[in-house]
This record gives sequence, C-alpha cells and structure tokens, in this order.
Amino acid sequence: MAMDKKIFTTPIIKSNPITVLVLGICSALAVTVKLEPAIVMGISVTLVTGLSSFLISLIRKTIPNRIRIIVQLVVVAMFVILISEFLKAYVYDVSKQLSVYVGLIITNCIIMGRIEAFGLTEKPLPSLVDGLANGLGYGLILVIVAFFRELIGSGTIFGLQVIPQSFYDAGYMNNGLFIMPPMALILIGCLIWIQRSFQKEEKK
Amino acid sequence: MDTNKNTYTVIYTIVMVAIVATILALVSMGLKDKQQTNIKVEKQMNILGCAGLAKDAKTVKDRNTYVQDEFKKYITEALVVNSDGEILKSETENLDVSDAFKVSTADQFDIIRKMDGVQDEAEKEKLAKQIQLPVFVCQTPEGEKNYILSGYGAGLWGPIWTYIAVKEDGKIAGALFDHASETPGLGGEIVTDKFRSQFTDKVILEGGEIVPITVVKGGAANAENNEINAISGATITSTAVQKMISNWMDLYKPYLQKIVSGSAPAQTEAVAETEETIKTE
Amino acid sequence: MEALNIFVKSIFVDNMIFAYFLGMCSFLAVSKNVKTAIGLGVAVIFVLGVTLPINYLLNKYLLSPGSLTWISPSLAEVDLSFLSFIIFIAVIASFVQLVEMVVEKYSPTLYSSLGIFLPLIAVNCAILGASLFMQQRAFPSLGIATCYGLGSGVGWFLAIVSIAAIREKITYSNVPKPLQGLGITFIIAGLMAIAFMGFMGINI
Repeated sequence: MAMDKKIFTTPIIKSNPITVLVLGICSALAVTVKLEPAIVMGISVTLVTGLSSFLISLIRKTIPNRIRIIVQLVVVAMFVILISEFLKAYVYDVSKQLSVYVGLIITNCIIMGRIEAFGLTEKPLPSLVDGLANGLGYGLILVIVAFFRELIGSGTIFGLQVIPQSFYDAGYMNNGLFIMPPMALILIGCLIWIQRSFQKEEKK
Repeated sequence: MDTNKNTYTVIYTIVMVAIVATILALVSMGLKDKQQTNIKVEKQMNILGCAGLAKDAKTVKDRNTYVQDEFKKYITEALVVNSDGEILKSETENLDVSDAFKVSTADQFDIIRKMDGVQDEAEKEKLAKQIQLPVFVCQTPEGEKNYILSGYGAGLWGPIWTYIAVKEDGKIAGALFDHASETPGLGGEIVTDKFRSQFTDKVILEGGEIVPITVVKGGAANAENNEINAISGATITSTAVQKMISNWMDLYKPYLQKIVSGSAPAQTEAVAETEETIKTE
Repeated sequence: MEALNIFVKSIFVDNMIFAYFLGMCSFLAVSKNVKTAIGLGVAVIFVLGVTLPINYLLNKYLLSPGSLTWISPSLAEVDLSFLSFIIFIAVIASFVQLVEMVVEKYSPTLYSSLGIFLPLIAVNCAILGASLFMQQRAFPSLGIATCYGLGSGVGWFLAIVSIAAIREKITYSNVPKPLQGLGITFIIAGLMAIAFMGFMGINI
C-alpha cells in the first residue's frame, strides 16, 4: 500500500508531467484563459490517462507488439470520444469553450507516455493510480495558470467579479495581455523557475 | 500464445475495431437526444437573449426547462418570410419545432454567397427568391412587440451569427452575436455585453430605407451616425459583423417596411397565397 | 485569393505554436539545434500538406451530418461525426507509417535524415489539431483546406527553426540556474509569441 501512495504523490509535484517531464503542453495552455474550462480539461485528461492506462495494462499481454501504437491510439481515442460525447450532453457550455481541444487529448503526450512507460509493463491497479496521478499533476498546473490568467486578464474567478469596481474607478485596468497566448507560456516558464529553485533548496 | 503471428494480429485488429465501434455507436445514440436538446435550448436562449429576456438562464438550476418555458411564454409567433416580405408560413403553436425554428441560416448564407458571385441581375433575383428568412415575434413583459430577425456570416476563421430584435418603430431593441471559432479575447469579444449593447436603439429602417450600421476603428464611434466601435485588434471580425448585418437586413427590408408601416401581418391575417412547402434542415 | 489569405494567416497570425500551443512537446524536445529542427519542420509540413486534404474529403463525404447522401438519399439522417477523432488519428498514424516504409525502401539517404522524425509526428498535436480546426472552421473547398494545411506546417517550421537558433545562442548567456533549459525556453517562446502578435490583422 505504501508503494501505491508513492506512485500517487510523486507525479503531482516532484515529477510533474508539465513542469518537470515537459509532456502534454500542447493542449494545456489554450484552455487556460478561464478557470472553468481548465478544470474540466484537467478532469477529462485525468480520466483518460487513468482509464486508458488501466485498460491497456489489462490487455497488455494480448497486444501484438507490431501494432502496439495503433492499439494504444484506438483505446485513447475511444475514451476521448466518450468524454467528448458526455461533455456535449451534460455541460454543453464548457464543451463549446473547449472546442477542438477535447479531441487533442488524444495526442497529449502524457497519456501515450504513461501507457508506454507504465501501463504496458505494470499491473492494472497501479497503472490506474499512476495515470490518475499524472492527470492530476497536469490539472494542477492548468488550474494555477488559469487562475492567474483569469484574475489578472479579466478580473474574475469562475466568471464572478472579484476585483471591486472601486479599483476600476481608481484607474485599474484588466491586463489584456494575460488573455493572449504568450502570457501562458511566460507563466509556465515562471512556474518552472519557482519549482526548480524550491526543489534545489530542499536538497541542501 | 504467439502474439506476433499474422493471423493473430489481423483477428485482434478486427475484434478491437468491432468492440470499439459498438461501444461508441451505443453511447452516441444514447446521448443524442440530450445533445440535441442542448443545441435547441441554446438557440432559444439566443433568440430570447437578443430581446433582453431569459436573463436568469445563467443562474437557474434547471436551465433547459427555464429557457423552454420562457420561450413559450414570450415568443408568440414564428414566421418564415421571403425576400419580398411575403409570409410563407406562420405558426403560433409549438414554436420550438416550427418551420421558422428549423430554417438553417447557414444554408441561406450559402445562397447569399452564391448571389455575390453572380453578375446577371435576373439570376440574382432568382436566387434571392429561394431565400427563407425566419422571424420570431416576441411579446415583451413591458407589452412591446419585438420582431426577432436572424443573420449568419463568415468571420475571420469560422461562421458568426446574430439575432436582432427590432421594435415596431424600426429601432433595434437588442442584438446578440455568437461565433464558432473566432480568437478568444479578440474576435471572440463580439459576444460580450459591451459590444452588444452598442446596437441598442440604433435605427435600422428610416423612411422605408435600411440605415447602414457602420463599424469604426479606434473607439471614435458617433452613436448619432449609427456607428459602432470595432473591437480593438479584431478588425476583420468587426467588419464581418457589419457585412453580415447589411447582407441580411437588405433581404429583410421589404418585411421591415411592413413592420414599421404597421401592416406586418399579425396572426389573424391570411398567410400569403404563395405558400410553398418549406425546406427545413 | 482567399486561399492565399488563409495561407499567410495560418503562418503568421494563427501560428500553430504561438497562438494555439499545438505541437509543443516536440517543439521543446527537438529544438536544441537548428539542423534537427529543420528536419522535423520539413517532415511536419509534408505530413500536414497531405493528411489535411485526405481528412477534408473524409469529413465532407463520410463524417459530417448528412454527408452520406452521395451513396443514397435515405442516409441523410446519418451523423457519423462522433467518429471523427478516431478516423482522423487513424489516417494520420497510418499515413506516417506508410511514408516511413516507402522512404526507407526507396531513399535510404532521405530516410536517415527525415526518417527518425516520422514516428514523432503521429503524436504531434499540430497535425491532429489542424484537421480538427479544419472540421470546425468548415473550409469551403479542398484547395483552401490544403493551403491551410501547408500554411500551418510552414508556420510550425518557422517557429521551431527560429527558437532552435535562439537556443543555440542562449547556451552562452548567463541565465539564473533554476531557469536554465526549460524555463527560459518557455519564456523565449512567450516573447516570440508577443512578437508574432504584431502580425495580427494582416489581410491580403
């Protein structure tokens, strides 16, 4: 059980898929303009990583090695389509905001990376935990970035105004640059900076 | 078992594809109704939204029921008119499945596009005849009558569309815009209240002629001249909005004239004799 | 004219990397020196230029609602769009596989310079992303879709080659330790994205 716990906690911060392993940035940044889609995206990726790792691990002994990649892609694509269909049926607004990025979960390197590195060799349950944890680590970064972008870019959190009107009257303005794509890149750069300097101190 | 044999690989692939396809088809069929309701409710919400109704849609718990109820309450009539201002079809019951509701503005836009490419006037006329324009009559809580018109055009990247509520004096009561894939923070800003509210009380028809609404850059709009501030950094989307409005208002013109002159047929009046079977989506 | 407009816009304004963050994984991993960056860039242009028209035709005659009427009018109600993710990724993966085999057999020199990048491309988000954008934006003709594919590829090529050039130089600069490597690359990418924003609004 102790081992399971480690599988779960390491990917969230220590070997965070985005800031340390640099996987899955592709679809990550575009959905971080607002918090809500970022959270939904984080949950979707967590589910897909966990479930596909689990399923692949279940059938790992039957997969012909030659078509391994295709089999993985099909399994991942299936889960992504399922998620996309459920989003369209139950949270239609968010699915509209995520638009094509739901589909891009398929090519998210985290998922394929975890399947290759973990799911193909380990037992189903640890694979599930490993997948979920990596998804959560990914979601965490998304939420942090989205929090700052929404707060500074539009002055809101979850669409609710948090910067009081008196600030605006006193001349405060939303920083439009934070809505633009470049700021997401710079924010991630800063996050990596903070995390690395923090981890170095830990070692000392 | 040897998993590297050819026959094994082939069988494996076939079985896998069959299983995956079955699961997906089942889920897709099971959720289809719900998805289509969502799409329908969104359209109803847009129609109501341009007249400033269904304001609580964002906060109520059961949005679908709320919007459908509001739609039933305030939208009293759904019409399909042609570009001569004649009414092809008028319905007052079950408006959410009415022909006007089902008219695909995207299909009408295809015809408008074709018209742009045709030089011959007679040919143009012929195409214009095919166009079907949906109109929703809305009885506001203040007792006013609004005519809700539609529009659809091409933005920078993908389609944009609009619903415009016109009052009986030819002024705009409210407008609503939406888009499929404009850049967030730039072209995507056309959905915001800040952009929308500029259209309120602009004149659309005066003295029987359409008054053009112009989008100007740099925040220099003069509201008196029917000018709207463009979204900074999104000139193409802003101009696309202007073009869409002018395209569709030209088509609606004969009908708008009837609205303003007070002869827009109410429910009791006879539907134009030229009623044809109306093509729907 | 419209095709040229789309081509130019997809290179500069809606650059796959700087505006949509697509293909970031390989963008960060393979941008350490200019030569490999060029190799990967060319491979991306090629794959995008071919798979996009294929997926366009599939979308038009198979996937989008009511598109099966060319077989029989009774199929107008069939809507296969939920399958589009899986079909697009299958086309991309099998095309990449095919090219790899052909190149390996007929041109060993080309294979040694380009071949190693091909497997990387199947899971490059920029490729699948372009197909999904194509579907969402409903391009009116095959020509325009092809131009969009090529333009996105050229944009991606431009981005990766220029960042590789900067990274070659930055190794000689005095960057704070925790920021070295990944962190600074993100920030450079962010600054480049701001520069690319200057192209916004160009129209031909």
